[in-house]
Amino acid sequence: MTKMILRRLASSCLSLFILVALVFFMAHLTPGGPAYSILGQKATPDSVAQLNARLGLNQPLVKQFGVWLWHLLHGQLGYSYLLNRPVGQLLWVYERNTLVFYSVSIVLSTAVSILLGLVQGVWFGRWPAKLIGAFQLGFYALPPFFVAAMLILWFAVDVRWFPASGIIDLRDPHAGLASFAAHLVLPVITVSLLTVSALSRYFGEAVHEELGKDYVRTARAKGVSFPAILFKHVMRNALRPLVTILGLSFPYIFTGGVIVESVFNYPGLGWLMWRSALSQDYPILIAIVLIIGVLTVLGNLLADLVNGLLDPRASYE
Amino acid sequence: MSAVLEIKDVSVTLKRGGKSVTILDQFNLSIAPGEMMGLVGESGSGKTIAALAIMRLLPPGAQIQGQILLNGEDLAKADEARMRAVRGKGVGMVFQNPLAALNPSRTVAAQIGEAWRVHQGGGKAQARAKALELLGEVGIPNPDTRLDDYPHQFSGGMRQRVMIAMALACSPKLLIADEPTTGLDPLIARQIMELIARLRRERDMAVLFVTHDLSVVQEHAESIHVLYAGRSVEWGGANAFFAHPRHPYSEALLGSVARLGQARLQNIPGNLPEPESRPAGCRFAPRCAYAQEACSSAYPPAHGHGGTQAACLYPLPLSGKLVYAEPLAPKPTRRFLPLLDVQNLTVRYPGAGGWFGGATKLPPSLNDITLTLGRGECLGVVGESGSGKSTFGRAVLQMIGYEGHVLLDGQDFHATAGQAKRDLRRKIQVVFQDPRESMNPRMTIGEVIAEPIRLKGRVSGAYVRARVQELLGQVGLNPEMAARYPGGVSGGQAQRIAIARALAAEPELIVLDEPTSALDVSTQAMLLNLLKDLAFRNAFSYILISHDFAVVSYMADRIAVLNAGRIVELNETAALISSPQHAYTAALIAAAPQLQPHLGQTQSA
Amino acid sequence: MSEALAMSPTRSLGQRLSGNYTLTFGLVLGALILVSGFVAPFIYPVDPFTIHPAHALEAPSAAFPFGTDELGRDALALLLSGGYATLVVALPAAVLAFVIGIAYGFISGLGPAWLDKLLMRLLDVFLALPSLIVLLFFAALVPQSNINLILLLGLISWPSLARLVRNEVLAQRGRDFMLAAQQSGASRAYLARVHLIRVIAPILVVNGTFMIGDSILTVSALSFLGLGVQPPQESWGSLLESALDIAALDPWWLILPPGLLVFGSLLAASLTGQGLLRLWGNGR
Repeated sequence: MTKMILRRLASSCLSLFILVALVFFMAHLTPGGPAYSILGQKATPDSVAQLNARLGLNQPLVKQFGVWLWHLLHGQLGYSYLLNRPVGQLLWVYERNTLVFYSVSIVLSTAVSILLGLVQGVWFGRWPAKLIGAFQLGFYALPPFFVAAMLILWFAVDVRWFPASGIIDLRDPHAGLASFAAHLVLPVITVSLLTVSALSRYFGEAVHEELGKDYVRTARAKGVSFPAILFKHVMRNALRPLVTILGLSFPYIFTGGVIVESVFNYPGLGWLMWRSALSQDYPILIAIVLIIGVLTVLGNLLADLVNGLLDPRASYE
Repeated sequence: MSAVLEIKDVSVTLKRGGKSVTILDQFNLSIAPGEMMGLVGESGSGKTIAALAIMRLLPPGAQIQGQILLNGEDLAKADEARMRAVRGKGVGMVFQNPLAALNPSRTVAAQIGEAWRVHQGGGKAQARAKALELLGEVGIPNPDTRLDDYPHQFSGGMRQRVMIAMALACSPKLLIADEPTTGLDPLIARQIMELIARLRRERDMAVLFVTHDLSVVQEHAESIHVLYAGRSVEWGGANAFFAHPRHPYSEALLGSVARLGQARLQNIPGNLPEPESRPAGCRFAPRCAYAQEACSSAYPPAHGHGGTQAACLYPLPLSGKLVYAEPLAPKPTRRFLPLLDVQNLTVRYPGAGGWFGGATKLPPSLNDITLTLGRGECLGVVGESGSGKSTFGRAVLQMIGYEGHVLLDGQDFHATAGQAKRDLRRKIQVVFQDPRESMNPRMTIGEVIAEPIRLKGRVSGAYVRARVQELLGQVGLNPEMAARYPGGVSGGQAQRIAIARALAAEPELIVLDEPTSALDVSTQAMLLNLLKDLAFRNAFSYILISHDFAVVSYMADRIAVLNAGRIVELNETAALISSPQHAYTAALIAAAPQLQPHLGQTQSA
Repeated sequence: MSEALAMSPTRSLGQRLSGNYTLTFGLVLGALILVSGFVAPFIYPVDPFTIHPAHALEAPSAAFPFGTDELGRDALALLLSGGYATLVVALPAAVLAFVIGIAYGFISGLGPAWLDKLLMRLLDVFLALPSLIVLLFFAALVPQSNINLILLLGLISWPSLARLVRNEVLAQRGRDFMLAAQQSGASRAYLARVHLIRVIAPILVVNGTFMIGDSILTVSALSFLGLGVQPPQESWGSLLESALDIAALDPWWLILPPGLLVFGSLLAASLTGQGLLRLWGNGR
């Protein structure tokens, strides 16, 4: 098992390295470059050359990469030209916000998906399952920004239950966890609706498939009751693909997250990335890409590990 | 002494595609305590449905009419809660394919323990102790070390023993076994049957085992019940049945079972009727050689006294000669011109590699095989799973890499390449085990058969069409077949199409890898007879690979016995069977369905 | 062993569609949306860019069937024009990604093992990042234009299709009927051309429809974030974004239509894909 983990880690590191290098070179090879965006209206060939020299942007690209890597290994993620601050310092707050947001969403989505999937699998072909199926189809097709917009219209504008943006009520000096939570509600619901529609479908299919397998018939032949069959036999086997899917769906959660954070002005990594993209702030962009890449890879690895634990056959491969 | 199980006038209807279909009709059966009965039938006969009906494990929408009395209690009327109490305690059930029938994510101890705890309560420790005891009883060596193992860590035969242990946990008085040995190697299958027989005696338990394998019934069962197209056709004492079958279907069935050293396999013409289109009156009548007009008017009542009863208006006389008991006349030794020359054939599969591990050395799956095959000769290759027999076939077909030499007509495959190699390879054709898998599901039958013809060179469409018709005729199929898709033909028909395709390439040698294992007994007989006929008329050679010794002995001129990748014995069929030189060969022969005199033995000692 | 009648792909279209409501509905919906994007502007020839300051932010009325935006522009005209802008980028991008994905997957699946390993390793790198993140990144770097957008989208979304195709090719490669064809003298090229295509085609088509939906969603999302279709041209995404800016004024007639159209496109793609799956099975 440890061999497998080490192998996966090494392979992931390699992938990440290639990715980061790719991203770095792409960023610095595109026409224009950061100097133009910083200087904006005042960009003349001379001033650009000057700025490039000062920022070290006229060094050979490979050397720049080497320098950047060196800084990276020392925990420095670069320096934002536009915001005039080291990137690392900047990112931490946003990262924390995003992690809270996603963690809550993932936990909630998984719990709801399991519930819905169970219903869908057990009552397959009958109206509860069909209803859930229609819901899944519908919500899967709903664009996250549309859902967010509708939620804002209903809950924030019409009934004023939840705030439409931000992360915490800036006007209230005593705003604490409650305010924080209130601001999370709409974003989490938006992301969860989409995640649940996809996850629950997979889980529902898995449950239905497992229920049709031979070992369930054997359990019935022993006189085991249906709830026991469901929870002691089927769950173990149906959860496995769910874990894999969850690991694989991290990229999609991030994608949805960017849009949702933007709509709700929630100051997380996705929101920061969006604004940095608009203002062409490369160091931040690269740093975020790197972090998200790491998180995705870690997510996959974690999913594989959990799978390995759940499946007794895995250790023999 | 009242019966353990009494089934009275049971009919089972299932919902198929929105319609109700009667699968089992007017089923009557009675098993005494401690009795071992074989419920026999081909696919579609309803035997599995009957077994599931007793346990009330039918799919939703199924309806049961009639009475199913277990120790006097009518299970057909019981509610689900009552059934749960009965399942596992009053009746135990063992299924086929133990790998799928056991939960891959739970230990053996947990699953056997569950069977105990569901009915007897008790804690985990007690259940575990019981599981240990049961594992020992079914003959698992070192059971204490295997309690916490998972199903995939056991071999096929061991897994089936685990299943049996699970079914016996609460000491039921009736054990139902649904095809317990299907898919197992012959030697292992024999052990499992002996285990069941022993357990029956020791626990004084009745056993109903459902099977299509008549030889197993003959060896172990006291009574037999034969189903055809959802109705009983013959039932009674096993001895009497095998000595004097009364129903024409029984006779035909017995005649189509391949046994060691048998002269002829009997074809049953026609096809099994679909449940939706069963004939009124006797359901076998359309295919029966002795049928008369009265047979089709109403379903025949039972006739017969002592021995067996048959649902037939004109049951066979008691003193008839048994077709299937006719032994093979010794074949004159034939001389063959050489065709295939295999020299030192060795196949090694690369071990698992990887970044951190070196390539592990696995033993070769085929080790130093040398033999020759003549023109028009049929070579049988027998062995158990893992013996390398399939690997041998694939190596000769050039589907896998190998060391050593394979020469066809004096040409070494390793010495050819490109088009020349393809042309040489075309001379060896193949028929696989799974008939429908060997055809592209999106190509018509006609295209499938035409492919080898088209690949050979430029030919006109008219020529191809004519040739396809001709080939279909040669394998006994309707020309309309050409427009159908593989999904719409039966297994037997699909296999005939596979043969037609092989013929289309005009081969000199055909390799058949378990061609009949996936087919019913009567279909198997038809196919083997077809193959024999084709070989006789076309003078090409066969390599017939199978684990079924009887099938191979029916077809082959010489037999090679493989074990762990090596040839253990190679000899002419008659000589090999009558005086095997190697112990392994002898064991395989003993496990094969024997040609037994009509006063044959039934229960093993 | 029941003898089911073969499902012949040569049954008439009508026979196949009847009863398959999913497919019918999906196709009809998709057709409607395509029409609204490409043909409708001819049926409703109102200039989307003309502003009517006197009629700013009006709810739907006889004069303006879908109301007006904050600049007094005809919302319906904006919607139709936006549809065209979205589709004219999303559809070619989907096609591009489709072609690249299939080619990559086939080469990886049919080629030698070392090539497969290499290509898959490369693919893992591409798949490690969420596509929108990568898109945001590159959208920030390259000058905004429709062509660039098409190229960008097309070059980012093919990896998952490639992996699917490669897995399918590998799975089908060793099947008995492929081996049998080889035994009759078929070359690799023949196998791919004649057998593989037939078995894999249904999955490809189904995934293709899903990709179209995805593409529309991504274009809309990018435009929503300001990085997709650029002003003054509007797209569904940008229309929704402008409407959201003034959400406090409750402009439901500006929010619902573009959102519903994106939803409708995705739904059409999903339904068509699912309907096709039910129609063809998956060739196993």
